[in-house]
Amino acid sequence: MELIFHLDAIRDAARRFLAETKGKTVFAFHGEMGAGKTTFIHAICDEKGIRDIVSSPTFSIINEYRPEDAKNGEKIFHIDLYRMKDQEEAMLAGVEDCLYSGAICFVEWPEKAPGIFPPDTEHIYITLAGSETRKLRIGRN
Amino acid sequence: MPEKKVNILAIESSCDETSAAICRDGEILSNIIAGQKVHEQYGGVVPELASRAHMQNIIPVVHKACRDAGIALPEIDAIAFTQSPGLIGSLLVGAQFAKSLSLSLQKPLIAVHHMQAHVLANLISEPRPSFPFLCLTVSGGHTQIVVCESPLKMKVIGETIDDAAGEAFDKAAKLMGLPYPGGPLVDKYAQTGNPERFLFPEPQISDLNFSFSGVKTAFLYFLRNAGKSTVYKPEQTASEEEQEAFIRDNLPDICASIQHRIISILINKLKKAAVLTGIREVCIAGGVSANSGLRQAIRETGEKNHWNTYIPEFQYCTDNAGMIAITGYYKYLNKEFSDLSVISSARSEW
Repeated sequence: MELIFHLDAIRDAARRFLAETKGKTVFAFHGEMGAGKTTFIHAICDEKGIRDIVSSPTFSIINEYRPEDAKNGEKIFHIDLYRMKDQEEAMLAGVEDCLYSGAICFVEWPEKAPGIFPPDTEHIYITLAGSETRKLRIGRN
Repeated sequence: MPEKKVNILAIESSCDETSAAICRDGEILSNIIAGQKVHEQYGGVVPELASRAHMQNIIPVVHKACRDAGIALPEIDAIAFTQSPGLIGSLLVGAQFAKSLSLSLQKPLIAVHHMQAHVLANLISEPRPSFPFLCLTVSGGHTQIVVCESPLKMKVIGETIDDAAGEAFDKAAKLMGLPYPGGPLVDKYAQTGNPERFLFPEPQISDLNFSFSGVKTAFLYFLRNAGKSTVYKPEQTASEEEQEAFIRDNLPDICASIQHRIISILINKLKKAAVLTGIREVCIAGGVSANSGLRQAIRETGEKNHWNTYIPEFQYCTDNAGMIAITGYYKYLNKEFSDLSVISSARSEW
């Protein structure tokens, strides 16, 4: 499916996104620098009631958040592979441990290590549709 | 008999610097930092390489910190280490080392939050701010405004909702094709440029939080359009040759202008925080406080607004164990110890 939204309506888009992808746990966000990957993940986390501050994990590689109503140590991982050289490096950084933990994972720059993703990963493509609008495509066609 | 002095050994390994420091009664006797040159060729910190290098560095660094301070391990009263946040593999190296040392020396362990330590770096040497003070902490991974009421009582009142300020500098540098680490190079080129030549948008965030992703996107399209506009317009996209020529011919002005915008975002929020809290003791901390434009801006803004401003010595601005030691010292006085089950965390909450 495709979603085109103005940045002012990003929360609505996040809500629709969550309804559309219910049951999925690993989300790979494709899009060039400035497309709005972190911003959209931020909106999804807001929708999910995450009170932790959601920010770019470019520096930290893996950010860990806890939903407000977390049960049994439920976690959400926000991962950024931007600085990874290859798949091996991503594995050594502990990215795989997150992806196969059963926890929800939002991953930016997945193309840096395409082979480490579980088969049921949901792929999302974000592109600019205008300076203030974004197009979101869910699924590999 | 004089009262016994308190010696703290501190270890910091949250990112790519392995550091150890000794502090005696709040005075830093040594602060040894081993940087990791290995990352420059990769365009950033590589987590696995970072952990391995920490393992190689940690014993020599601790050894040197003790030797320079003239302290033997048995004289240490407690071991402080960075518990969070950071790269998990890097944090674990420091944590395991500190725990092992705590166990073998039978001395208490003190878990320190890296961001709290950055703020307390302002208490290391004169002139020290008086409480309460505001601190703007800016680094590659963090951007925060903190109100500090006492050494162990502080509150984050604003932080970035996307990129950190240092990340904005580094990504801007990368977009211009400058080598890693890009932030200091932007600062260097900016010295001779005109900061008002190009205008980048200021994010409209109503509270004290920061956002740098809009500026990053604007900067990306500014370069793609070879300076003609900062918005996405496919029909304006310049050829790669034009883009390269534009950057080459205007580098100082581009650097000065983007630096000016990143700094004005920081300073405007800090001014707002000062008004909202009524606090006029204002500090900066973190690696980006080495940026000459930010240092100048904080001094000028301080003079205009009758603030007392403070910037820690440079060795205490970047990641360093000295700041972990001073924080560990205050926690020691307050008897805030951890047991060996304390876990490292990548999570930034505190």
